[in-house]
Amino acid sequence: MVRFENVGMRYGLGPEILRDISFTLEPGSFHLLNGPSGAGKTSLLKLIYLAERPSRGAISMFGREIAATPREELPSLRRRIGVVFQDFRLLDHLTVFENVSLPRRVMGEFESGYRAEVEELLSWVGLGNRLNAKPPTLSGGEKQRVAIARAVVAKPELLLADEPTGNVDPEIGGRIMRLFIELNRLGTSVLIATHDQRIMERLPATRIFQLIDGRVTTAQSAKDLVLAEAMRA
Amino acid sequence: MKLPSQSGLMPADSASGTTLHTIVAVMSFLACLTLGAVLTLSRLASEWTDGLSGSVTVQLLPSSQISPDDQMSEALRLVRQWPGIFAARAISREEAGKLLEPWLGEGNVLEDLPVPQLIEVTLTPGRPVELEGLGHALADGVPGALLDDHQRWNQELASFAASSEAVGWAVLLLIALATLAIVIFATQAGLQAHREIVEVVHMIGARDVFIATEFQSHFLWLGLRGGVIGLMLAAATLLGSGYLWDVREAPVGAQLLPQFISAPYHYAWLLFVPAVIGLIAMSTARMTVLRVLGRMP
Ligand SMILES: Nc1ncnc2c1ncn2[C@@H]1O[C@H](COP(=O)(O)OP(=O)(O)OP(=O)(O)O)[C@@H](O)[C@H]1O
Ligand SMILES: [Mg+2]
Repeated sequence: MVRFENVGMRYGLGPEILRDISFTLEPGSFHLLNGPSGAGKTSLLKLIYLAERPSRGAISMFGREIAATPREELPSLRRRIGVVFQDFRLLDHLTVFENVSLPRRVMGEFESGYRAEVEELLSWVGLGNRLNAKPPTLSGGEKQRVAIARAVVAKPELLLADEPTGNVDPEIGGRIMRLFIELNRLGTSVLIATHDQRIMERLPATRIFQLIDGRVTTAQSAKDLVLAEAMRA
Repeated sequence: MKLPSQSGLMPADSASGTTLHTIVAVMSFLACLTLGAVLTLSRLASEWTDGLSGSVTVQLLPSSQISPDDQMSEALRLVRQWPGIFAARAISREEAGKLLEPWLGEGNVLEDLPVPQLIEVTLTPGRPVELEGLGHALADGVPGALLDDHQRWNQELASFAASSEAVGWAVLLLIALATLAIVIFATQAGLQAHREIVEVVHMIGARDVFIATEFQSHFLWLGLRGGVIGLMLAAATLLGSGYLWDVREAPVGAQLLPQFISAPYHYAWLLFVPAVIGLIAMSTARMTVLRVLGRMP
């Protein structure tokens, strides 16, 4: 579903922040992406959701070589991916309902087609009574839940979440993780960038990608990871 | 629970909106005035060139072969039976005196001068008249009769009108270009101001045309609203000054305003100004957005 081969990336003329990245994400898989702040987790996700281009190497998404895909065909690939941005990126002048509806609206659907679903989703993340609120009036955790709802509203084949539990209490954090696991059971591949230890311990992640010095190593489980960290220290 | 209807993806900027509306309205105002002048000039020019401007003059020079009264009645008879002539009227000595007053001063100058008698000939509107033949017929049939068809004067007026008309079109082109530049500038500023929104919508999988449509409809309405305001101001200006002019008795040559008032249907083209401005704004915004988005990955 996603394949990286010797991918390198730099911003402008800056240093290469990702080097020789190679990995694959299979359909229906669940992965964590771990690494210290500034390691390049967000940058790696940007490559996957096609917001940045690699400076070298090859990326293929849903069986298509990105380098060989004409620009006009990228939107249809992006629609198969849901993204929870680290900084949420909600549109402040739209209501919570409108923000969450955005992916459906962008696809050309009419409100009557998605209203019930969006309302149900929002009450599931505990925002059923804030449909008409604007993001500036929400708390950090509420914004995060809106961002998550927006990422999953179009039932993406691949869900990317950048620190999705950074701003919420353990109770809501657990809820969010259960939502991700549920989506994964229904067939969505999930990749979560996080350094939240609780998540790593709680999840039966098939693999954890460890991003250090711009390179990816894989660990089989959270235990391995903790062990590796301990050994490095 | 009642949900609000979906709002536009781009927030309505009240501040830059007012400024932009003002600029567009001024552009439309100038375009309407210029187009009004161009339409008038083109109409006058075609009338002058076609010789349909309505009247010619017959001069009757004093002649030893015929008495002035016979000369006059003979000429009138000949002119009135000519095809395409609407009316012919002898201009009395007093009237002629009035016409010549600016040059000759007041007083009974005419009594002492061998001034020609004049016949004012009105042509049937919209019907070409064999003026050359009439001239020959007059010269042959009435001693001392001379037809002045104002041709030289008309030609000069017509070429003056044509060149002014060309200047008018050039001014309209400049106004269109300025509008274009303003819209490009405003669109780029809008994209810059809403960069975050554009990026998010782009990342969520919106196609470029989806985003362009948001901008272009915004600018279409801006162009239409500003255009209509400018049109109304221009119409008020034309009608208002036309009224003032009427009251004070139109000076010779002040053709534009009376024309505007006498034939409003001729100026229906002005209604297209807001539409054209709206279309210019819309297509410019669309192309600008598509160009800028094309640089995104
Ligand atoms: N737009 C950008 N232009 C230039 N450099 C950037 C840009 N975005 C990120 N970087 C740099 O790339 C490196 C990796 O950043 P990135 O945001 O991917 O890290 P991260 O692993 O997500 O960190 P965190 O855990 O703090 O979110 C950092 O050194 C950062 O300064
Ligand atoms: Mg990050």
